[in-house]
Amino acid sequence: MTSVRTWIIIAGALLAALLVPHILPPGLSEFATRLSTLVLIAVSWNMMANAGLISLGHSGFWGLGAYSAALLANAIHLPFWLSIFPAMVLGAGFGAMLAYITGRLRGLFFAISTLAMSEALRVTALMIPKLTGGAEGVFLFDPIRPDRVTMTAFSLVLAVAAIAISYFLTKSRFQYALRAMRDSESAVQMLGVNPARFRMGVTALSGAIASCAGVVSAWYTGYLDPGAAFDLKITISAQIAPLFGGLYTVAGPVIGSFAVLALSELTRLYFGYSAGVGLLVYGVVLVFGVLFMPTGLMGVSRRWIKRFRHSGKLAAEPS
Amino acid sequence: MGSLWLQILVDALLLGGVYTLMAVGLSLAFGVTRIINFAHGDVVMYGSYAAFFAFAGLGLDPLLSLPAVAVLGAIGGYLLFKWSIGRILDDVGINQVLLTFGLGLVLQNIAVILWTGDERSTTPFYAFDSWFLTDDVVVAKGRLIAFGLAAVFVALLLAWLRWSELGRATRAVSQNRAAASLMGINVRAMYALSFALSSAFGAATGAIMSFLLPITPFMGFPIMVKAFAIIILGGMDSIVGTVLGAFFLAFAETAIAYLVPQGIGWAEGVAFFLMVLVLIARPAGILGTSGREA
Repeated sequence: MTSVRTWIIIAGALLAALLVPHILPPGLSEFATRLSTLVLIAVSWNMMANAGLISLGHSGFWGLGAYSAALLANAIHLPFWLSIFPAMVLGAGFGAMLAYITGRLRGLFFAISTLAMSEALRVTALMIPKLTGGAEGVFLFDPIRPDRVTMTAFSLVLAVAAIAISYFLTKSRFQYALRAMRDSESAVQMLGVNPARFRMGVTALSGAIASCAGVVSAWYTGYLDPGAAFDLKITISAQIAPLFGGLYTVAGPVIGSFAVLALSELTRLYFGYSAGVGLLVYGVVLVFGVLFMPTGLMGVSRRWIKRFRHSGKLAAEPS
Repeated sequence: MGSLWLQILVDALLLGGVYTLMAVGLSLAFGVTRIINFAHGDVVMYGSYAAFFAFAGLGLDPLLSLPAVAVLGAIGGYLLFKWSIGRILDDVGINQVLLTFGLGLVLQNIAVILWTGDERSTTPFYAFDSWFLTDDVVVAKGRLIAFGLAAVFVALLLAWLRWSELGRATRAVSQNRAAASLMGINVRAMYALSFALSSAFGAATGAIMSFLLPITPFMGFPIMVKAFAIIILGGMDSIVGTVLGAFFLAFAETAIAYLVPQGIGWAEGVAFFLMVLVLIARPAGILGTSGREA
């Protein structure tokens, strides 16, 4: 079904993800790590959005992944590459539970429930200091943290894998069911598709991917506390990148991640670390994105290309 | 032991008043427009700042500046509707969520830039005053005032919805948008009105919060999350349900704060656990009729 070309491209991208970090200067290498974590949660968020599920709780998955990696590293010295598996199981389990609990809730109600669940997780992490270190946070066992190059390669590989998964999803039969769910779940049900099963599948998958982003950030920063691990900012960047790039597309979240990260670097360059400016820019992007650019950068560029071709044709026509 | 229970009862009732204030505005706007305003908490925050500057600059008691703050809130809400939310009424739900979420971010961070994260508060004479019901049962006067105002506001709102021409139109739009439109009601105008009223409620709530909570640009988010939990508990499209939800949550939180070891920390999370339970048991909320199709 999938052409050989696709596999070659994916293999090439994975190889590049493994090799490129060796030649990147430190600054760019850090940028690549941050970019890949953003890509991971943006792709994961977009996957849910694709099925009409608005998540405001991606920080919940992120925090679960981060805490599972950090706690297992401290308890049994689980190495970084193995730590993604328990994290993915947790993320998928939490996602499935979320889908189960929210049951028939749609749109808004689902969105609010996800927000509440990630807040509930934050409070829980704060209140069981014996396990999580509570408000003081927890340091990840330092001797087993990978070096910078390994870290970057690890995160890039995960990001490439996530993009590949979302690509395969759009090529699969599921895509039709999911896209139809976005328009009308009752209609989908009438056609003999069980939306509950698809919903559970997609939230579990999305949760697993988002928790990988948490794993990367835990190994990358080496320190966690409930406020940072379940930060609302994570959810915000998870939704802003796909919106900016182009909702419901494969490339959108990736392009959006680049754009968002570039934007935040620029605001930092111009305004320094002054409080509020970065988030203000995010908010403005959200508002203007929804009002004036609902198809994102993808949509805009597509329109420009069309216009360009059109005008080219006009010019080429003999008068 | 008896006085402990009495104290729990008193605290829960007073907290319920505060929670009612937080949630009623949100519930009103949602009931009519079916759009959840994720920026509602930030409207409350601006109300608090307005009351603070009136207090610090002009020496006005927050209760005196409250009417003016509410009017400003109504104007602000109307403008928000006109410039942004009103333009995407027919869009898919995801755009509405992202838009109001983004508006909240913008409002919050403008406040961060203008006023920094420093804590402020208004300190009228009743802010730290309390009143002894018996020897060891304390009633905080600030909260008592909030409770009284909440009761007055909700009564006014219900009366307006029930007996006034515009109130009837509002309820009609809430029940069936298409039919209301066929009856000659200007649906869009009712939407704008409900947003303005909801923001007026939010700003008035802020003025009251200014002597109950520290005022910071970040105070809006927890208020908003609590308000969500309350309207999910009570039923999203029912004002009375919202009030019930507020008191239900207040009782649960207060009881846990007093009776469970380390309860004050856990009480913060009660809202969310209750919400999950309600979602499983009765997704429409205590009094809601909504088919959860929104």
